[in-house]
Amino acid sequence: MNIVTFTKRVPVTQEEELRITGDGEAVDLSKLPYKVNDWDNYAVEEAVRIVEKTGGSVTAVAVGDAESDEVLRRAIAMGAKDGFLVEMAQAVQDPFARAALIANFIKNEKVPFDVIFTGVQSEDDQFGSVGGILAALLKLPYSSMVIGIDKVEPDHMVIRRELEGGLQERVRISLPCVLSIQSGINEPRYVSIMGIRKASKVERKVFQGNAYEEGAGAMIEAVKWVYPPRKEGAMMLSGELEDVCKNLVGILKEKGVYQ
Amino acid sequence: MSYALIVGEVRRGVFEERNLDSFGLCSLLGKEAVIVIPDGPYSFNERLADTIVKVKTGEEMFLNPLNLVNIIEQVINGRGKPDCIVFTHSSSGMESAPYVAGTFGLPVVTDVSAINKDEGVFYKSYYSDKIFGEFKCTGEGPWVLTVRSGSFKDAAAEKADRPKTEHIESIAVSDKRVFVEYVEEEKTEIDITKAEFLLSVGRGVGNKDEIPTYEELAGMLKATLSGSRPVIDKMWLPKPRQVGTSGKTVKPKVYLAMGISGAFQHIAGMKDSDCIIAVNKDAGAPIFQYAHFGIIADMHKVRDKLKDMLKS
Repeated sequence: MNIVTFTKRVPVTQEEELRITGDGEAVDLSKLPYKVNDWDNYAVEEAVRIVEKTGGSVTAVAVGDAESDEVLRRAIAMGAKDGFLVEMAQAVQDPFARAALIANFIKNEKVPFDVIFTGVQSEDDQFGSVGGILAALLKLPYSSMVIGIDKVEPDHMVIRRELEGGLQERVRISLPCVLSIQSGINEPRYVSIMGIRKASKVERKVFQGNAYEEGAGAMIEAVKWVYPPRKEGAMMLSGELEDVCKNLVGILKEKGVYQ
Repeated sequence: MSYALIVGEVRRGVFEERNLDSFGLCSLLGKEAVIVIPDGPYSFNERLADTIVKVKTGEEMFLNPLNLVNIIEQVINGRGKPDCIVFTHSSSGMESAPYVAGTFGLPVVTDVSAINKDEGVFYKSYYSDKIFGEFKCTGEGPWVLTVRSGSFKDAAAEKADRPKTEHIESIAVSDKRVFVEYVEEEKTEIDITKAEFLLSVGRGVGNKDEIPTYEELAGMLKATLSGSRPVIDKMWLPKPRQVGTSGKTVKPKVYLAMGISGAFQHIAGMKDSDCIIAVNKDAGAPIFQYAHFGIIADMHKVRDKLKDMLKS
């Protein structure tokens, strides 16, 4: 089984205050640390696990600037055989444009695959759309929210999709296909610094992204960035930690859940 | 008159409430609402639609992107292009909307939570709701949209006339992606939906070794321990303890959220709690927008202080 899996480098924003520059022109990400997109990490792990059982190889592909090499080294340290960087000077915002670029890359470079994995979404733009558009452009069957792969056969897979409220849907899908992998499908292996250093010795191929732009123009455009509307929000308990916690316990007593 | 095509979501014989957000968006846009749904014995407020297109097929066949593109093509062949094709931002909507966009070469914006009709822009979340992007279409429509649950349902308005009903008798069915069965979550002894007091932990908990200390705190407070998606994904707590759209929807008297930033899927699962108390060291965490009480602090410090106080 040959699996192509996409991996993206994203800014860490969880505990950061994000600033919009100018009159909503851009979001300042310059001071943020970066990491691998969570969903892609699960996808790489799942690909490596399958190939460990069936044989074949995993090819990790990143679309982004030169810095994205970092997530390729990581994927190789996890067990991917090859790392391909489709280098773009500027981030491609429109998921349609990104998927079209990827479809061109796969077709032009004749990258062999039985299955293509993407993460369900990326942490930064949360579009969750590249996998589905890519599948349609390559005319392949598609499934998203994949939370389990129960069976891998040469011509099909049996997978589980996550629905709402704890419900799942079991689906039989023919190969080749595109699957978008949901977080929590597995427990991604630990990657050591030594492992990444070792992976650095494996050559990563770099492809110039502008060679694949035919039909990959943007159809949507973010015209402005804004902060979310502020609601009334919470009453903040502030002061010394001791007082804050006393207050908290007081509220629990008042609500009748703690005596 | 221009129209919006709503792809209705029916799961296990129930017309999902989140479809109301799709109707609400159409009302706000002033578009004729044409909803396409699988034919079945479920009921919903049909007065929200101008036209109902009933497709003679099961819900599992319907909510399959490979079949849905054929169904949409049939509808469009009959009535011309809509201005937008509207999905819910659910597991199925997130799966099918991009596939439809890719198949027909259409612009797509997902997780739309607000609009400005006059300026013709849609708002979409970035960076877990810390920033929103205003989106304009540069290409030709129709737009493919998924709408965030809870965002537009209040705008859904009944029409003056009863809806017209149309039927699609047969569709082309793909054999490349086939529904096998639904899989239910295993039953467990502890049902977090029955708890009056939930102590819920999120990504901020940091590592697995901290979980027992929060179990201990929950024990001291006589609360039940639950968690948000990142904690369940890492398998630090079992899946039946997950609060959020893909887990459980809870309404306890008190929901004490520690180290949870408040992704909308989590908020959707706990926002109707009587009292929400949030502890997070990130003052910008979206959860403070929904909480009744907030504490900006390191959750572990709050845990230690609470334990000290409760012991004495």
